[in-house]
Amino acid sequence: MSVRWQSLIVGLACALAGCGGDGSQMRFVENSTLAKPVHRKARAVVKTTLEEHFGAPLNSVAWLELPVKYGRAEGKITAIDDQTLSVEFNAETMDLTGFDAAEFAGTELLLTSGTNQEKAIPLASFDGKTKTFEMSSLAVVPAVGDQFVAGGNVLKHGRKLYARHCQHCHGVSGDGDGPTAKYLNPRPRDYRQGKFKFTSTAGPAGKATRDDLRRILGQGIPGTYMPAFVPMLKDGELTAIIEYVRWLAMRGEVEWQLLGQFKDEYASDRAKKEAKESGGKESEIEKQIDSQLKEFVKSGLSALVQEVAGDLADKWIAAEEEGAAIIPELARVADSPESRKRGKDLFYGKVANCVNCHGLAAKGNGAQTEDVAKNLRTGELYPTPGLFDDWDQPVKPRDLTRGIYRGGRRPIDIYRRITQGIKGTPMPGAPKTIKSDEIWDLVNFVLSIPFESPAPKTASAHSIAGQSGEKGHAN
Amino acid sequence: MRKFWCGFFIFWPIAAIIYSAVSPQFNWWFPGPSVTELGQRIDNLFYLILIIVTAVFIGTQVALGYCLWRASHNKEERAWFTHGSHNLEVIWSVVPSVILLFLALYQMDVWALYRVQSFFPKEAREAPVAEVTARQFEWRIRYPGLDEHGVPKKLHLKPQPDDLYTVNDLHVPIGRPVMINLRSDDVQHSFFLPHLRIKQDAIPGQIIPIWFKPERPGNFDLACAELCGWGHYKMRAQLIVEREVEFQAYLQKLRADQNYDGHATPSAVAKKDE
Ligand SMILES: [Cu+2]
Repeated sequence: MSVRWQSLIVGLACALAGCGGDGSQMRFVENSTLAKPVHRKARAVVKTTLEEHFGAPLNSVAWLELPVKYGRAEGKITAIDDQTLSVEFNAETMDLTGFDAAEFAGTELLLTSGTNQEKAIPLASFDGKTKTFEMSSLAVVPAVGDQFVAGGNVLKHGRKLYARHCQHCHGVSGDGDGPTAKYLNPRPRDYRQGKFKFTSTAGPAGKATRDDLRRILGQGIPGTYMPAFVPMLKDGELTAIIEYVRWLAMRGEVEWQLLGQFKDEYASDRAKKEAKESGGKESEIEKQIDSQLKEFVKSGLSALVQEVAGDLADKWIAAEEEGAAIIPELARVADSPESRKRGKDLFYGKVANCVNCHGLAAKGNGAQTEDVAKNLRTGELYPTPGLFDDWDQPVKPRDLTRGIYRGGRRPIDIYRRITQGIKGTPMPGAPKTIKSDEIWDLVNFVLSIPFESPAPKTASAHSIAGQSGEKGHAN
Repeated sequence: MRKFWCGFFIFWPIAAIIYSAVSPQFNWWFPGPSVTELGQRIDNLFYLILIIVTAVFIGTQVALGYCLWRASHNKEERAWFTHGSHNLEVIWSVVPSVILLFLALYQMDVWALYRVQSFFPKEAREAPVAEVTARQFEWRIRYPGLDEHGVPKKLHLKPQPDDLYTVNDLHVPIGRPVMINLRSDDVQHSFFLPHLRIKQDAIPGQIIPIWFKPERPGNFDLACAELCGWGHYKMRAQLIVEREVEFQAYLQKLRADQNYDGHATPSAVAKKDE
């Protein structure tokens, strides 16, 4: 068959299947400020490590080191009746919460003990009530008492939904760089640092909980392009997407962390530098680096990968633990003119100093937005004045007069934003010296801003902020 | 071959009738009877027009078929050329005009009730139940706050501190006329309630009132019917019609959720946000 015919058939197959295209390749951080200082051979090691532990979108790997609910269940066969298998799940290994029984249709049950060990049985359906699987073929007949692993197709299911609903903006590998991303402001979230802005957990490093992600999917983020997906997506679908997004975030994080680990020892300019210092030949040193790296891949890499994965798994697990969500010490202080007044004083005061960024009229144009900020990771100054987030995108402090609250408008949401900050952005958590009741005063004041615009203060302490505030760049 | 063309032209009206007759069984028709009375009247207008055009369609096809059939059996008679008939032209101009005029007059009260604000039921016009803002790609909904008895206040055009917010989930009470104010935040969208036979474009910069009186409780589709961008399909929301008490309880729950401060609130159960 000629090449032309082959490509025509491929094209037809694509048209019939709706063609996911070759866009479904995972991307790697290759050109970012983080990857560039790393030696290209070390980068290749990171890449193969990632491919090994996460695979590709169409062939994903459920790495059990990660706290992702793959929908995998282990158990024992208790009875066999024709095509039907009665089973008993192993309580500790079952993480089917929120998944539909339909998840099992078309999957396989892998036997892990007995005479047919390592053999797979294709499944037609699962009945959660009677805990029975329907086998779709009798090629392999198990015995009562055989151990098995089943399910685990959440990544597959999640990927399909993610591709349909999220990928357009958030990109195949969750790098926030899908085809529509460049038209959006603010940019879609890049999950790869494992950072999500609006979470219920402590700042600045707290991870997003499953409930946080579910809330964002359900409510959207007002003031951005992130829409609400409920009621279009059902509960089980949300669960699958959430697990897939967590998995993508962890994949990205492993990559970032590994690159960070290699950055010092395997710097991209190491050979050049050493050659200069010792007067040796650059190519000789390159060879040295190569063999050193090969040695490391053999001896130390797997321990490093385990350590990195273990660390981040701990953080994601911690976010799910009871007490991880920030609950205010005190119930909300009643919203009164006095409380708002106290909050207003804090807003303009030296300790909280909200005015510095949010501005005299709380329009998000404080003095700080006119300064040139320093990139804390590279130590360099940003090319333009204004604030930047951890993704090196310009951000504006919220215009509090508009009554649009991205992380939610409930008092608890505002409280969490004020005390914990917004992750990945210059919005810091309030200093611990500000007590819970005072935070509530601030919340009361902030929520009142859209309805009574605060008159600019004339106090001299804010005269500098005042001047720049007056110039007021367009918002 | 001559017979073929007779059959061909007779076939289509028969196919159309069969298709129309079986459609409801396959859900190719309206999504059930309308939830509003006005919707029923709109359906009736639709059926009236359908009957008229069906009669005309079948009549012309049968006439066409008959002529062809006659000609195919008649070798003697020749076709003749005519430059027109004044009487015939008067007939086929006047008859459709009368039908059109009749339809235009006949539908006027339905149209007025549906579209002209001064014809809206007074209670709906005076107390809009919610404001619905279309946005790429979701429906943001704002209800007025509740007074001390838990009864909704008046909805203001500008947001108020105690307004209640939700997204993609429009609740309305059953059995009384309700009005919503439709807006758009960005581009043109269309507020489409197929079960209520309501379709209204949302236009940026305009507030467009829509009223309806749902007669049946249930969970109905609210979709966007104007291609508004690549994520148009995401604008699939729901309209929930419920009894007055349930509606008020819903608003109270919404209020409790919205005031949640991390501690016991009137509905601490409402901690999960969906
Ligand atoms: Cu739309």
